[in-house]
This record gives sequence, structure tokens and C-alpha cells, in this order.
Amino acid sequence: MSILMLSIGFGLVTASVLAIAGVGLSLQFGVTNFVNFAYGDYATLGAYIALVANEHGLNIYVSMLIAGIVVAIFSALVNRLVFKRFIDKRVKLVILLVVTIGVSLVIEYALQSIFGAQFQSYTITSPTPMQIGPFLLTTGQIAIIGIAVLCMVGVHLMLSRTRVGKAMRAMSDNPALAEASGIDTLRITDLTWLVVGFLAGIAGVVLAMNTSTFTPLLGSFFLMLLFAVVILGGIGKPYGAMLGALVIGVVTEVAGAYINAAYQDAIAFLIMILLLLLRPQGLFSSRGRA
Amino acid sequence: MLYLASLLPLAAIYGILVIGLNVQCGVTGILNFTYITFVAIGAYVTGVLTMGAPANAQTYILGAHLPFLVALVIGGLAAAALGAVVSFTVLRRLRSDYLAIVTIGAGQIVYTIIGNETGVFNGWNGIFGIPVPVSMSLSPIMQQLAFGGITILILAAVFFAAQRIQYSPLGRVLRAIRDDEGVTEAYGRDTFRMKLLAFLIGCFVAGIGGGLLGEYATAYAPSAFLPGETFILWAALLIGGVANNWGALLGALIVPIGFAEVTRFLPDFGNPTLIESLRGVAIGLLIILAPAFLPKGLIRERLAKDRAQSRVTAPTEEETSHA
Amino acid sequence: MPDALLRLDRVSRNFGGLQAVAECSFDVHEGRITGLIGPNGAGKTTVTNLIAGEMRPSSGGILLDGRNIAGWSAHRVARAGIARTFQLARELGGLTVMENLLLAPYPQKGENLWLAIVQPPAVRREEEELKERARTLLERLQLAHLRNEPAQNLSGGQKKLLEIARAMMTRPRLLLMDEPTAGVNPALIDQLVTYIRVLRDELGVSLLIIEHNLDVVEALCEDVIVMAAGSVLARGTMAELRENPAVVDAYLGGGGSEYAAL
Repeated sequence: MSILMLSIGFGLVTASVLAIAGVGLSLQFGVTNFVNFAYGDYATLGAYIALVANEHGLNIYVSMLIAGIVVAIFSALVNRLVFKRFIDKRVKLVILLVVTIGVSLVIEYALQSIFGAQFQSYTITSPTPMQIGPFLLTTGQIAIIGIAVLCMVGVHLMLSRTRVGKAMRAMSDNPALAEASGIDTLRITDLTWLVVGFLAGIAGVVLAMNTSTFTPLLGSFFLMLLFAVVILGGIGKPYGAMLGALVIGVVTEVAGAYINAAYQDAIAFLIMILLLLLRPQGLFSSRGRA
Repeated sequence: MLYLASLLPLAAIYGILVIGLNVQCGVTGILNFTYITFVAIGAYVTGVLTMGAPANAQTYILGAHLPFLVALVIGGLAAAALGAVVSFTVLRRLRSDYLAIVTIGAGQIVYTIIGNETGVFNGWNGIFGIPVPVSMSLSPIMQQLAFGGITILILAAVFFAAQRIQYSPLGRVLRAIRDDEGVTEAYGRDTFRMKLLAFLIGCFVAGIGGGLLGEYATAYAPSAFLPGETFILWAALLIGGVANNWGALLGALIVPIGFAEVTRFLPDFGNPTLIESLRGVAIGLLIILAPAFLPKGLIRERLAKDRAQSRVTAPTEEETSHA
Repeated sequence: MPDALLRLDRVSRNFGGLQAVAECSFDVHEGRITGLIGPNGAGKTTVTNLIAGEMRPSSGGILLDGRNIAGWSAHRVARAGIARTFQLARELGGLTVMENLLLAPYPQKGENLWLAIVQPPAVRREEEELKERARTLLERLQLAHLRNEPAQNLSGGQKKLLEIARAMMTRPRLLLMDEPTAGVNPALIDQLVTYIRVLRDELGVSLLIIEHNLDVVEALCEDVIVMAAGSVLARGTMAELRENPAVVDAYLGGGGSEYAAL
């Protein structure tokens, strides 16, 4: 069993985690046109909600679902109560970005004040690695990949088959035209925040499962990887984000296996920075937008 | 009494840091979301330069026993050098939100490298035992006051320079870049070079402040430059007053100092990290509420007014003078 | 015929599949006010952006006094003596009206870091001279009472005047104006026309003006270029062009009806 194959296997798991949240972030940025620096912390919130549910005896997958729903509602509320006020006042982009950072800090430290800074983990049955082809994965990891696939299919169906999804794509491509075409941008925005919140919640639980222990800072480091994923795939292109997740997930795991594992994240940031400089529209897009 | 005396240099240091951030972000509008990294470089470089060869089970580069002020200036320059590396790669083409992302990413990279490469600045444990720049023969109170005097002098110099820059043609161009970079380019200004200049000035000041901070604490470690620290300074700027140096000072007093002081007196209810956590929540809330209720901060940007007498003050007056 | 001040030599620009400008060639002569008209999408704004250095042509040359400036950055073009005003007012909102004008001239000693901090007499003198020039201009344009007002507080018409005042401070060789009278009430249009003439007559500025208001074009421009579908369709005085069937077809008759009512 080669290191390369093993790390590719782990890379697929990481890619799954990244894909769920990456698609969410890409969708959100596309529709609302600003970066939510608190998105990673939405995932952290999901992880902790699942922790509470899990500690009350609920199965991890049920807890995951609950987490997704709660974060979805939270996400939509934060947009309505906080972000929207600034957007309506037409503040400078700087201010809005700083406000998202504020939300990020509030979530992180509120979680820390409630749960403390120590490492937490879920009560799951101890993982038994199984051999799947050239890879060595636990049932939990296989489940993560499965959940990711489910989410991707769900998002795909939503975007291609439902009116809401098509409206999201329209708003993402050309907000002015979308509005002029009679799309209820307010409602679509609300729905977008619900969907991406749900994805973030799920992603947080899955991430926590994959890293086995987590703290309130789980999401903020994760966010950087998400940026790399979203930028790689092209802003506002959820399908690109799926591919971006695959690339970042596998590349960082493989690189981490051969170089110092501590630099795994740093490698992802480096890729992101290089991409932004050399090909800001992402690997898979044809038009430039940066 | 000793306690109050020890607050003095800290207040001055934070004043310096917020003024530096103001030049980059308040005046010129560059989104530096990793300002604290430059503070850290200043702290580390100044620190190791004043210390001798590595001892006490620490490993670091550049142990040189240099005099304090020399080390301080070099610390500032080192921070500016990192700023040059970051800005050459990003300032030219990126719009503000991407720039913000990249600065955070760059900060994470530096944080990871410093933490993992223990030979550079002693890894996650950080450096300690930075020599105090005032004579040890003084009493503790006098030491704090003396150091306070030094920091205040440096603050005065930084404040003076920042004011001069802001209310000069250079400041005018930087503010124009903040408002509309395209128009400023259309008036013949090389906006990339000017943004670079503003960025480097801010990084240099951050490094100076960081060097002083390291000397003050006699130690420095990666835990001191987590990403959230940058936003304490941002909160200070947003509350105190954007693009106003007096506002920057006020913000420095309210946020970093005010907070630290208020939280000192709260009990921790048995949870050791509770106070720090609540502080974090409060900073986050401040960053959300300040722009909502105090759009430009407590002390707003002061625009230079032309006070010269003009012959005609308004069209109507011109008409009445012919009556 | 002396060499043109500005010459476009088969300039083309495409965006992906869209050919915005196609082999466009024309001259702009010194000391004249030249109009640039045509239906929407004809490429007028793109041509202006190409001249001003906002983007580089896909092919072709842009010659200023015989020197090819195609692909030069915007600030380099500005330093060579080409200035521009924008269709949507781009005042520097956080600066006062006075500061907006003071920004215009380049270079200024006080923009050097050390001179900005030290502010020796030479810097103060230059600043005072610029302020005097600015005050005079503001009085002339009847904006003096607003000189300490943040520019974002000005009305739309006042912002247009500000654009012209800034151009006057710059004293470029060539001024590109993008629809200076768009959205401006009729009373103000006369004033703008007067000041544009001042730019040419008193300050020696040559002008290339994109306009849809054909009355303004007729009043101001000795020379008019008609663009359509990315290249030059015809050239002459407004009177000549009104007789030109191709021009009438493309713009003055059917296509330009939205604007001919002005």
C-alpha cells in the first residue's frame, strides 16, 4: 500500500469535506457578491450543535442533520438582522467585510465561553479501517464521502431543476438583469443563506468527524482552505468548487505526506495566492472577474 | 501606582499601532487583515537583536546584543520588508475583498512557519528574556515611567509624521486613491507605487510598535499574533475614528487598554478562558456595532478647509452687490 | 496639413468573441473640438478607454504627436498630456471640492514622503500657488461657495462642473469627454458649453467629446466623427453629416431617435 495511494484516499475524504462547504461558499459569494468571513465559523457552530445533540444520545448522523437545519436558520437570520442593514445602507465594501469578521469573532468566542477552549470529540463507534481498492478508509470516512456526494447531487438538482436554483444562477451571473427579469431577489437571497447555512452546518460536523478532535477555532482555519477551493473553481461557480475541492483535497494530503504535514494548510494558501495572481478567474472559468 | 505606571507605555504602544493601521487602511483604504503579523515581525526581530546568543534552551536567529534603538529601527525595517514581499505580489491587481483574503492567507503562512521552524524564533514557545531597555538600577515604578517616556517620545514622532503625511499633498493623493483609484490614475498618479508606499509606512510603524511591545512584555510568542488580534486594532480604529490620528489614539485607549482594564476586575466563574472569550465576543460585537452607530468613529476625519477670503462667496451675493 | 495631435491607426479591440472596435482610424487635430457620435454599442466609449490607457488595443496604433501610446498605463497616458472626464460623475467624494481641484495638477513636490513630512517652504509655496489657481477657477465656475464641501454632497450638475474645473486645473493637451451633458438640465448645458469653449480658447486644450445631444455637438464641434459597429462611418461637420445617407440610416434617422429628441 503506497503512501501515494493512501494519501490520495485521505485526500478524497478531505475533498469531500471541502466540497460541501466550498459549494456553499461559492454559491453564497456568487449570489450576494461579498465574502462572508464568518462562513467557517458557521461550520464550527454546526460541529458544536451536533456535539450537544450527540452528548444527549443522538446518533451522529441525526445530530448532523439537526446541526444543518439550525445553522441554516442561523445563517438566514444573521443575514437579515446584521448584513442586510449594512447592505441597505450602501456602506463601503470594507465595512461589510469587517462586519463579517465581527460575526466570526462573536461565534468563535461565544462558543469558547460556553464550551471552553479544550478539544472536543463525538461519541462515535471506534473506526475500523477497511480496504477499498487501493485506499484504506474507515466507515466514517466512507460515510463522509457518501454525504458529500449526496450534497453535491442535491445542489446540482436544485440548481438545474428548480426555479429557485435557476434564479440563484441568474443572480450570480448578472444581478441587474436578474432583478429586471422580475426575480424576487430578496426571497432568493434568503433561500441562498438557508441553503449555504445548511451546507456549512453539515460540513462542520463532517470536518469535526474527520479531524476527530476540534475546538472553537475549527472553522477559521478551514475557511482559508475554502477560499483556496472557491478561487480555484471560480467564484460563484459551485461546480467549479466541487472540482476545486477535489484538487485542493488531494494535493494537500499528498503534499502533506511527502513534506512536513504541518505545512499542509500553508500549501493550500500558497496555491490560492498563486492562483489569484496568475489566473484570478479560476482554473475552470473562461471569463475573468477579479 | 506601579500598575498605572505600567499602563502608560502600553497605551502609547497601542497608539502607535493604531496610527500605523490608520495610514494603511483609514487613509489609503488598503484592507490589511493581517496587520498583527507585521507587529509580530517587529517584536521578534527587535527582541532577538537585543538579546545575545541563544541560551535558556531557546533557539533563534540574529542574537546580536544590539542597542535598543538600533534594534527597534531594524525591527521596523524587517516588518516593512515583509510588507514589500506581500504587496509586490498582491497590491497591483487585486480588488479589496481578494486582497483581504490574501492578507489573511499570508498571515497564516507566516504564523505556521514561525511556529514550526523552531530555529527561527523558537517555535511555538516563543522567545523570552528580552532585555528591558531601561537601567535595572531604577525602582520598578521608575523603570515603567522611563520606558513610558521612551514610548511616548516615539509615539509623538510617529503621530507628528502621520499628521504631516495626512495633511499634505501626499495625504491628499492617498485619500483620493481610497475614494476612487481609477480617477487618481487618470490624473497621472502611479497608484500602485503610492499604495505600496502607504502599505510600507504602515508596516514600518507596526514593526516599531511591535518591537516596543516585545520589550514591554520581555517575551513574544505565536499566541500573541493570532488572527483575532488584528481585529482588536481594527475595532480601535473603527470606534476611535477612521482617518483621524487623534481618533486612532482614542480608539487605542478605549479598545485594547479599556478592555484589558475592564476585564481585569471580572471574576472568571471557574472557567479560565471565560474572560478571554467574553472579551472576544465583545470585540466582535464592537466591530459590528461601531460602523452601525458610529459610521466614521468617534472623532471623524477632519477635512482641510480653505480659509482664504474669496471675492465672491455665492452667486446671489454677486447679484445683490450690483443692485 | 500638420500632423494630427492624436491619430488612431486601425485600432481594434475585441472582448472574447465580441468585436467592440474594428480597424478604427481617425485623427484629432490640435486646437479643435472634435465630436464623436454614434449609436450605443458603436465603440465610442471603448475607443476612449483605449486612448486613455484603461485597456490596450488588440491591434493597431494610437499616436500622440507621432509617438505610439497604445498599451501605455493610464497614469502614463495622463502624464503625456491626455486627461479625461467621465460620464457618470466620479468626484472624489471624501475630499472637499477644493481638494478635488488641488489633486489635478501633476507632479507636486508635496507628494514625496520626506517633503510631505518636513514641508519646507518650497512645498508650501507650491501648495499656495495651486490654491490660488483653484480659487480663481472656482469663482469663475461659481462653485467657490462650495469649496470646503465634501464633493459627495454636490448635486449632479455641480459634480459635472467639478469635472470640468478639474480638467481646467490640469490643462491637458487633449481632453477626452464622455457625454458631458448626459443627465444635465438644459440651463446647465449652456454653461457647460461655455466652459468647454473656454478650455479651448483660453487654455489651449484640444477636445474629443462623445455626445448624444446633437444640438450640443452642432454648437461646439467643428469636426465630427461618426462611429458605428466599431469603426468610423463618416466624418465632417454636422451639416455635412445630416446630408449623409449612411449616417442618417445608422444614427440620425432610425437608430438615434431616442436621442434626437433632445
